[in-house]
Amino acid sequence: MLDLLAQTGLNAVYAASYISLIAVGLVLIFGVMGVINFAHGELFMVGAYTVVALYADRHLPFLVAVAAGLVFVGLLGLVMERALFRPLRDNPLGGLVASIGFLMILQAVAVLGFGVRMVHVPPVTQEVIVFSDRIRLPVARLYVIVAAVVLLSGLWFFLKRTRFGWALRASAQDPEAAALQGISINQTARIAMFIGAALAGVAGALTAPLVSINPHMGHSVIVTAFIVIIVGGVGSLEGAVIASVVYAFVHTFVTTLYDGVIADIVGLSLMLLVLIIKPTGLFGSADRA
Amino acid sequence: MKFRFTRRTFLKSSAVAAASAGLPRLAMAEGSPIKIGFLAPLTGPVAAWGKPGLDGCLIWAERVNAAGGITLSDGAHPVEFVAYDEEYDPAKARTGATKLIREDGVSFIMMLGGDPWPGVQPVADKTGMLFSTLLPSDLSPDTTTLIAPAEVHPIYNVTGVEWLAETRPELKTAVICAQDDALGLPSIATYLAAFEAAGIEMQDEPLLFDPATTDFAPVVTRLISKSPDIVCLDTCYSDYVHPICEQLFQQGYKGQIISCTADFYDQIIAKTSKEFMEGFVFQFPDFDDPALNAEQINFPDPNGFYAEFNKRHPGQWGAVSWEYAAIMDLWKAAAEKAGSAEPDAVAAAMKADGTGKHAFGAANWWGTELFGIDNALVGDWPVVVIEDGKARIKGFKSIPAWYDKHGDLLIKHMEAYGQMWNQRG
Repeated sequence: MLDLLAQTGLNAVYAASYISLIAVGLVLIFGVMGVINFAHGELFMVGAYTVVALYADRHLPFLVAVAAGLVFVGLLGLVMERALFRPLRDNPLGGLVASIGFLMILQAVAVLGFGVRMVHVPPVTQEVIVFSDRIRLPVARLYVIVAAVVLLSGLWFFLKRTRFGWALRASAQDPEAAALQGISINQTARIAMFIGAALAGVAGALTAPLVSINPHMGHSVIVTAFIVIIVGGVGSLEGAVIASVVYAFVHTFVTTLYDGVIADIVGLSLMLLVLIIKPTGLFGSADRA
Repeated sequence: MKFRFTRRTFLKSSAVAAASAGLPRLAMAEGSPIKIGFLAPLTGPVAAWGKPGLDGCLIWAERVNAAGGITLSDGAHPVEFVAYDEEYDPAKARTGATKLIREDGVSFIMMLGGDPWPGVQPVADKTGMLFSTLLPSDLSPDTTTLIAPAEVHPIYNVTGVEWLAETRPELKTAVICAQDDALGLPSIATYLAAFEAAGIEMQDEPLLFDPATTDFAPVVTRLISKSPDIVCLDTCYSDYVHPICEQLFQQGYKGQIISCTADFYDQIIAKTSKEFMEGFVFQFPDFDDPALNAEQINFPDPNGFYAEFNKRHPGQWGAVSWEYAAIMDLWKAAAEKAGSAEPDAVAAAMKADGTGKHAFGAANWWGTELFGIDNALVGDWPVVVIEDGKARIKGFKSIPAWYDKHGDLLIKHMEAYGQMWNQRG
């Protein structure tokens, strides 16, 4: 039983890692721009397909493909900010509707470019860290865990210790006051969109060899991310990370000890419970809720 | 570089194939063309069970037209396919069925079936058009113009378990997982009946997962926690079979795996190892298998068909690549016997003596107990095993023979999962 719990714990740490990368990006975009980016799951998908194009098809090194995924999806985020969200800044529902339209475009482009079928990505490594016969951690999963820790630590440092980070946080807390202090709303929006999209892209790129890649893979990811940010508190980066860990552990343990369908029910019940007890989420404030 | 199927290549290949299918028609068969409707998902998440079937049908049409077409009482006619992409959507399927019948004048419509069928059934009832499905769970006493002549999913899965129990009697325990949907649940009931009939003990309740699942590590950790002799992957889609196998490999499982399908198994081997996949049992052969050249096989030139398919669509061969073409063989024989392409005449000829030539051998029209109507063609089904990295047929087992001995178990488990025809909504 201890082996089972330990293996499940390792599975949960991996799940928490990639979920938090996606959720933090989604929260950052919402916090700074006030936009609910429904296309965030598709940014994850584009990151995965970048690895397909560069690593699986063109045989570039995996880390090069992951870096390309990060940059490319970040740039895609800049395009979204300039073409979709900035013109609709004064329309509360405009950004949401535009992002839904954009996700359909990204799905269609993926179908045109790669077809409708699942795409095969060769394993980066088949090495497994064996703690015991029943407790194992594939090295490819360890990459995702390490990358999530490094990237989220880097983001924390950026937000807490740099002038751009302060500007971003100021814009998130009160956009009008930040503007009065000379902070460019457009610039902070660009930075937030680049970072948020890049985090989704790198999550997709890192997990590409571990999941089934298809044009519709963003759907389940975005549902999980929304549950997480509602639990953590809409607009709260710390909340998103902690809620990712809580959700991943609850969902993984319930899946293993009961089954996956019950785990989904428990995950949604967790969200409902938080909404009833603390409607702003565990770490959210009333301003952004 | 690996081949990628794109919409553009689809249009090109379809146009070329359709054009090439038409050329021999002019030379060999002079009558007006007989049009066959192909109403299946060609795009979207379920396209893998539609598009390869259309590709196979276009090869089939080319061959038939080159051989003189379909001979009816008024002479030879070329055959041509009219495709409609229903995107696995009931409303679109209904629109497609209406269009194929009214505007295109098709004589027969092939479907994947499943969710879109309820949208199409009113059209079938109103027009009397003959439809086929790959999923006999669409059948009921009300679906008199719907036939399931290619596969009786998931009943044929009993043959894999039966073969496994005979060849590896030391395997005594099993676990099973499946997505919680209309394809997974009847398959679970079937496997449970097959394991019970074989005296193999289930270690746990079937482990269901949400079809949106992307990370299968928790599922696999649970599956192998009691060291089962057999892990059964039910009728999981390829998107699940691949990552589950990878997880089984990474979490150190060394037992037997059985599954309904193993599409693109070469990719699973690439993600695991040839040794890990050795002995993997499933139900859908590659058609270059020498066993398909046996006398009882009714699919013409299966090896040539497989070679041609892979030449045109490298790496795209899947479980349905041959099935729609096999249905057309049956339809052609019935139409020629009836001397007519009229749906009721073809249906009557097809079921005249209660038997039919299934791709894998002689078969019977069957199904009253399970589906409420004898509109499923059932006979032998192959058991396929991966050996040295290649799928090989290890034998053909009789589904009716198994059912005669263990039908009560199948009905018991189907009822427990609410999958009998009179339980389905």
